[in-house]
Amino acid sequence: MAELSAGLPLHVASHMSGGRDLWSEPMPERPDDPEAAVWRALGEVLDPELPVSVTDLGLIYGVRVDGERVQVRLTFTATACPCMEFIEEDVRDRLLAEPWIAAVEIEQVWDPPWTSERISPAGRRALRGAGVSA
Amino acid sequence: MNARDFSPEVREALQRLILSLADTKRLLGIRYSDWLLGAPSIESGIATASMSQDEWGHARLLYAMLKDFGVDPVEVEHSRPPAEYCSASCLDEPFADWAAVVAGIVVVDGTLSLALEGFASGTYDAARRRIPKMLAEEAFHRDFGQAWMRRISEGSEEGRQLLAAAVESMLSDVVTCLLPGDDEAELLAGAGVTGQPGDARARLARRLAEPLAALGMVPAADLPLPGDWVASRRRPTGEPAADAVERARGDRNRALFVE
Repeated sequence: MAELSAGLPLHVASHMSGGRDLWSEPMPERPDDPEAAVWRALGEVLDPELPVSVTDLGLIYGVRVDGERVQVRLTFTATACPCMEFIEEDVRDRLLAEPWIAAVEIEQVWDPPWTSERISPAGRRALRGAGVSA
Repeated sequence: MNARDFSPEVREALQRLILSLADTKRLLGIRYSDWLLGAPSIESGIATASMSQDEWGHARLLYAMLKDFGVDPVEVEHSRPPAEYCSASCLDEPFADWAAVVAGIVVVDGTLSLALEGFASGTYDAARRRIPKMLAEEAFHRDFGQAWMRRISEGSEEGRQLLAAAVESMLSDVVTCLLPGDDEAELLAGAGVTGQPGDARARLARRLAEPLAALGMVPAADLPLPGDWVASRRRPTGEPAADAVERARGDRNRALFVE
């Protein structure tokens, strides 16, 4: 566990790059439903600035698993999002932590444009907990 | 359709248009950022920071589209001399005052959006997929610029004169640069890539009619290309100031590049 920052709630203070301190252990074998497993893994990748996952933010537009290769269609909240590189790196690292995934291909997509409507109810609760209205 | 699906002539014209839009957005971002501090209110200065960020995000997406044309976007973004920039010439130097910033938001940014809208019903897929997000972000720029334009128009005579002079100095430049009525624009419209240039100019005139009327101005019906027009750069002769291009290229940070 990361060293906590005094005064911050646990879910904020423990928020390391992409939430990687909270990532689950990799699955030892290829799961029966690899696509669902990819979505679950991406659900552990947190936005670098907020304690909410990229799936709950609605940034993942699609996932495809082809053998050991995974394709992720990813958008961002803004065209000049300063965290693009971080998010892509965290997504890639989380998925490559799984021994049954050998390659991750990320496609940036902008259609349809992201809006806050894409945030899930769980994402809204997490954002409210961090003092952010959505 | 992708870039390779168009004829060589259409492809060349489209590449030039994209570069002109990207360069103008890049320079506009710099010119907004010049006013991060020194605006009439702290909040307005902070707004220019957000708009700068958006312009650079849009420029990045537009430069990336040049890959479809066999161009290396990194080379284009970080290595060209000022004389190869295709940005609107009214951005060559910083905005002289806040009235010019407001004119820049309404006239330059507004015309850029109109030019982007021209791709909306066109056949170029890469543009149609990216531009709706840019236009959604631009809606905030438009509201902000028009609110400031109303505020100045309803204020002192001196303020109105400054704003009118700034609008006057930018309007013909950006319209000829970004919504040209030349052969290339006709070629792109004929190929279904963009809408008709005349339609875009008419839409701009309609959008600007009310704010310009408040300044006692009427949008010009016909804006001919200037005598020193350089077709290959879609702008008149001249170039952006060297310090702006140094910032655009990131000259001082080459050892720190992360992209």
